[in-house]
Amino acid sequence: MRFLTFLLAWAVKAAAIVLTIVVLNFCLIRLAPGDVATVLAGESGAADPEFLARTRAEFGLDKPLAAQLLTYVGNVLTLDLGVSYRTRRPVADMVLERLPATLMLTGAAFVFALLVGPALGVLAAIRARRPADTAITVLALLFYAMPIFWVGLILILVFSVTLGWLPPFGMRSIIPPVGDVARALDVPRHLVLPTLTLGLFYVAIYARLTRGAMLETAGLDFVKTARAKGLPEWRVVGAHVFRCAMLPIITFAGLQAGHLVGGAIVAETVFAWPGIGRLAFDALLQRDYNLLLAVFLASAVAVVLINFATDLLLRIADPRIGAGR
Amino acid sequence: MSFIGKPLAASIVAATLAAGISGAAAQSPQRGGVLNSTLWPEPPGIVIGINLNAPTLLPSSKMFEGLLTYDFRMAPQPMLAESWEVSPDGLTYTFKLRRNATWHDGKPFTADDVVFSVGEFIPATHARSKPTFERVKASAPDPHTVVMRLSEPYAPLIRSFDALSAPMVPAHVYRGTDFRANPANQSPVGTGPFKFKEWRKGEYIHLVRNDAYWQAGRPYLDAIYYRFIPDSASRALALESGQVQLATQTDIEFVDVARLGKLPNLKVTTQGWEWNSTISWIEMNIRRKPFDDPRFRRAVLHALDREFIRTNLFFGLAKVPTGPIHSSSPYYDADVPRYPYDPAKAAALLDEMGLKPGPDGVRARVKLMGLPYGELWNRLSEYIRQSLGKVGVAVTLEATDVAGWGNRFANWDYDMTTTFLSTLSDPALGVARTYITANQRKGVLFTNTSGYSNPRVDELFAKAAGTSDDAQRKAMYSEMQKIVAGEAAIAWLVEIDWPTIHDARLRDAVVNAFGPNDNFAGAWLAK
Amino acid sequence: MTFRQGFAHNRGALAGLAVLIGVVVLAAAAPVLFPFDPWDSRGAPLLPPGGAFAFGTDMLGRDVIAGIFHGARVSLFIGVVSTLFAVALGVVIGAVSGYFGGAVDDVLMRFTELFQTVPSFVLAVLLVAILTPGLASIVLAIAVVTWPPVARLARSEFLTLRHREFVEAAVLSGVSTPRIILVELLPNALTPIVIMASLMVATAILTESALSFLGLGDPNHISWGYMIGAARAVFRQAWWLSVFPGLAIFLTVLAINLVGEGLTDALNPHLRRRGATP
Repeated sequence: MRFLTFLLAWAVKAAAIVLTIVVLNFCLIRLAPGDVATVLAGESGAADPEFLARTRAEFGLDKPLAAQLLTYVGNVLTLDLGVSYRTRRPVADMVLERLPATLMLTGAAFVFALLVGPALGVLAAIRARRPADTAITVLALLFYAMPIFWVGLILILVFSVTLGWLPPFGMRSIIPPVGDVARALDVPRHLVLPTLTLGLFYVAIYARLTRGAMLETAGLDFVKTARAKGLPEWRVVGAHVFRCAMLPIITFAGLQAGHLVGGAIVAETVFAWPGIGRLAFDALLQRDYNLLLAVFLASAVAVVLINFATDLLLRIADPRIGAGR
Repeated sequence: MSFIGKPLAASIVAATLAAGISGAAAQSPQRGGVLNSTLWPEPPGIVIGINLNAPTLLPSSKMFEGLLTYDFRMAPQPMLAESWEVSPDGLTYTFKLRRNATWHDGKPFTADDVVFSVGEFIPATHARSKPTFERVKASAPDPHTVVMRLSEPYAPLIRSFDALSAPMVPAHVYRGTDFRANPANQSPVGTGPFKFKEWRKGEYIHLVRNDAYWQAGRPYLDAIYYRFIPDSASRALALESGQVQLATQTDIEFVDVARLGKLPNLKVTTQGWEWNSTISWIEMNIRRKPFDDPRFRRAVLHALDREFIRTNLFFGLAKVPTGPIHSSSPYYDADVPRYPYDPAKAAALLDEMGLKPGPDGVRARVKLMGLPYGELWNRLSEYIRQSLGKVGVAVTLEATDVAGWGNRFANWDYDMTTTFLSTLSDPALGVARTYITANQRKGVLFTNTSGYSNPRVDELFAKAAGTSDDAQRKAMYSEMQKIVAGEAAIAWLVEIDWPTIHDARLRDAVVNAFGPNDNFAGAWLAK
Repeated sequence: MTFRQGFAHNRGALAGLAVLIGVVVLAAAAPVLFPFDPWDSRGAPLLPPGGAFAFGTDMLGRDVIAGIFHGARVSLFIGVVSTLFAVALGVVIGAVSGYFGGAVDDVLMRFTELFQTVPSFVLAVLLVAILTPGLASIVLAIAVVTWPPVARLARSEFLTLRHREFVEAAVLSGVSTPRIILVELLPNALTPIVIMASLMVATAILTESALSFLGLGDPNHISWGYMIGAARAVFRQAWWLSVFPGLAIFLTVLAINLVGEGLTDALNPHLRRRGATP
C-alpha cells in the first residue's frame, strides 16, 4: 500500500515536471530570433516571400503563439510530437532512431564510471594515506578538473592520430570491416574513446565519493562491532562498509543523469557520435523547434525515469528512507 | 611575414594539372567500384526544386538531369536534349530530345515530361529558377520535341537548363499531386545514371547504378554512398585514410585542403564550381550612417588587406575580386576603380568625411554580424574587426546562429555583415539581384539587402537581360561594373575557389562546370 | 586549530592557492605583459611554440600565450560573476523556503526540483543561443543552471537555524523578518555556502569553456574555450592551439578545487574528520 502511494506520488510529480518543461521550453525557444523559414531560405540561396509564407503556414508558424502552444501541448499528450521543420519527418522517429546511440554511449560511460570509480575509491580507502591512495586521489582530482571536450581531443590526438589504435570519430567504420570478429568489434572500437571521455569525469567523482563515504562509514559503530566480532577484513569492507558507502553514490548517480545528457552533447560533438546530443545541437543551430522540443522532452523524461529508478533503488537498499520521509 | 598559402596554391595548381579534366587520359575507364563521398550537412530532402540546399544538389544531380549541361566556360552541351536551336529573334527555343532515355521506373522520358517540368513543377517549387521559367511557354509538338516561347528576349535562358536549375522530373509521378507531399520525394525517380536505393538517416544515402541508363556502357561506378560525417576534421581523416574518396566545397576546412593536397593518394582541384562563381563580400546597410557615404565604403575596402585574407584565411583558395561580376564570367571587366590595401588612404577618406578620431582613437563605432557558417567565417569577422580597428573604426562582433542571421539580414536589421553568394551562370540571374532597386524586398534573403540604388545601374541590368546581342550585353555590363565598383556598393572580399578533394584513383569526376554536382556518368575508379 | 592552520595543513590547498594567485596575477598583468590586442596578428600563422612566440601562433598569426593571458580575465570573470548571481539567487530562494517552511517551502522546492530535472548543460546551451552569445547571456545561463544546489543547501541551513534559541528570541522581540534573515541567520549559514560557491566557480569556468567550444562564446572577448574551439579544425597540424588553453583551464579548475577542499577542511571541522584513518 505504501509502495502504491509512492508510485502514485511519483507519477503525479513526473507528469507535472514534464509538462512544465514542455511549456517552458516552448516559450523559451519561441523567444529566439529567426525561424525555420529563414534557415531553409538561407540554405537554398534563393528566397521569395511566397516561399517564406508557405513554409511558415505549413508549420503553423503564422498562428498566434498561444494557439501554437496549445496545439503543441495537445499533441504531446497524444504522443504526437509533430514533424521536423527541416526534414519533414516525424520528430519522434528522428529522436528514436538517434536514441540508441546516445543510450549506448551514456550507458557505457555510466557503467564504466560505476565499475571503475567505486573500485578505485574502495582501493584508496583501504590504502588510505598510502601511495596508492595518493595516486588515486590525485588522478581523480585531475580528471575532475579537465574539460570533457579537451579530454576527448587529447585522447584522439594520442590514440588515433599518433598511435593509430582507435578510430577517432563516428560509430561504425564508413566501409564495414572484413571478417566476423572485426565486424563485431567495429562499434565497440568506436565506442572506446567517447566512453572514456564522458566517463573519466564520473570515475573521478565516484572514486572521491566512495573513498569519503567508506572512510566515514568505517568509523561507525556497526562496523566496529563487525570487526570486533572477528569477521575477516574483506567481509567487513565488502558487506558492511561498501554497502553503506554505495548509498551516496546511487543518490549522486541519479542526480547526475541530467548532467550526463549535457556531457553527451559535448562528447557527441567531438566524436561525431550520431546520438540525440548531436541532434539537439544541430536542431538548435537550425532552429528546428519541433525537433528540439522532442529532444528536450526525451531527455527530461529520461532524467525523470532515472530519478525514479534511483529512488526505487534507494528504497530497496536502505529501507530507512521510505519510512523516514 | 611568410604566407603559408603560397606553396599551397602552387601545389593545388600542380594537382589540378595532374588530375584535372583530362588527367586520366592514359587509361581507359574501368567498370565497377563503389564511390564514397562526404555529404554535410545531411540534406532535408534529395529532390532538386523541393529542396535547394547545397547538400541536396550532390546526390540529386546523380539521379536527375537537365536538358543541357555546360562546359567549364559555361557553353551549353547536350544532355537530355541532343540538339537545340534558338531563333534569331531570341524568342523561340526548340529542343530535340533523346529517344532512349527512360525514368528509373521504366517509363520513357518524353516531351510531356519537359513541358510539365518547366511549366508546372519548377515554377511551383524552384525558388531560384521560378522567375526564369515563368517567362516561358512550353509546348510539345511531338513526343521528342519541345518548343519554348518567350514574349521578349531573355538572354540568360540558354544558361538555365542544367540539372540544378531545371531538373527534369517525371510527369506521370508528379502531375496532379501535391508536389511537396509526393511520396516520390522520399524515393526519387529521375533519368540519371544512378538510382535511389536507401537513405539511412544520420549515416548515408546510397545510390546504385542505373543499368538502363541511356548512355550505353555508363555509368562506370556500381554505387555511390554519400556519408554524413558531421565534423570537418573527421572528414579530412576519412579522405586521408581512403575511407571516402570525394569531398568538396566546405567539407574540408581550407587549411586542411593544403595539407591533404600534398598527400600522394589525394588530388585537389578548384575546377567544377564555375556554374556557381561564388563571391564573398561585406554588405553594409546603406540605409544607415555612415554606410550611406561611398567614401566610408571605399575606406573599408582600403583598410582590408584582401591579399592577406586570400592567403591566410582562404589558404590561397580564392582570388581578390574587383567588382560585382566574377572574373570567370565572359562579362567580367577588370578595368574598374580598384581599392588596394592602403590604411592611410582609408584614414584620409574618413577624415574627409569628417569622421575624426576621438580621444580614444575611435572615429566611428559599427557592428559586424558575421556569417555563422563555421570557423573560417568567424576568423574572417575577427580579421575585419582588427583591420577596421586600425583605421579608427571600432567594430563590435554580433554573434548569431543561422536562423537569426538570415532573419536580421533579410529584414535589414544590421550594420555590416559578411556573406557569400553564387553569382550563377549569367549576371542577369546571379548578379542583378544584389544591386537593382526593384529587388529591395524586405524579409527576403539574397535580394538587394544593402539598399543600394542607382537608376543607371537598374537601367543597364534591365537592358542587358533583354538583349540577345552578346557584344552589346558586354558593353552594358562593363559600364555597370565601373559604376558599382566606383561607388563601392559592397566591399567585395574574395572570389572563393571551392576545392574538390578526391582520391587519386577517382578519375573523370570533374569534367564540366558542375564538377561534383555533375551526374558522374563518366566517373570511374582505377583499380 | 585556527582557520589558517587548518588550511595551511592541507598541502594541496596551498599549492592550489599558489596556482590560483598566479593565474589571477597573470590575468591582471596581461595588459602589461602583452600590451596589445590579443586578436591582432603578430607573426606568421601557425608557428609552433618556441622562438618569438612561447606558445606559438594560431591560424591568423595571433600570439597564443597572449590569448591565454587575456583569456584568463574572461574565464575568471565569468566564473566569479556567474557564481555570485547563482549564489544570490540560490540563497534568496533557499532562505525564504527554509525560513517560512510550509506551502512556501513546498512551492519553492518544487520549482528548484524542476530546474534540477532539466538537463542543465542543455538548458545553458539553449539559453545562450536564444539570448545570442555574449558575456551577459553566458553569465545568466550559468547562473540559471547552477543555483538549485545552493538553494537546497541554504534551505537546509536555514531550516536548522530557524528554531535555534537566538532566532526565536529575535522573533519574539519583534525584529523584522528580513532583518532576522539577513542579520541573524545569513552570517551563520554562510560557511557551507562559501565552500560550495568556491567549487562552483570551477564548474562555471568549465561550463563557459564548453559553451565557447561549441561556438557559443562571446566573439568580442577571447577565452580559453574559444581558443580550443577555434583551433579544432587545425588540431592535427597545430596541437599547441588546443593543448595550451586546455592546460590553462585544467590548472585553474584544479587549483580552485584544491582551494575549495582546503576551505572545507579548514572551515568545517565536522567534515575534517573524514580524512582520519579508521
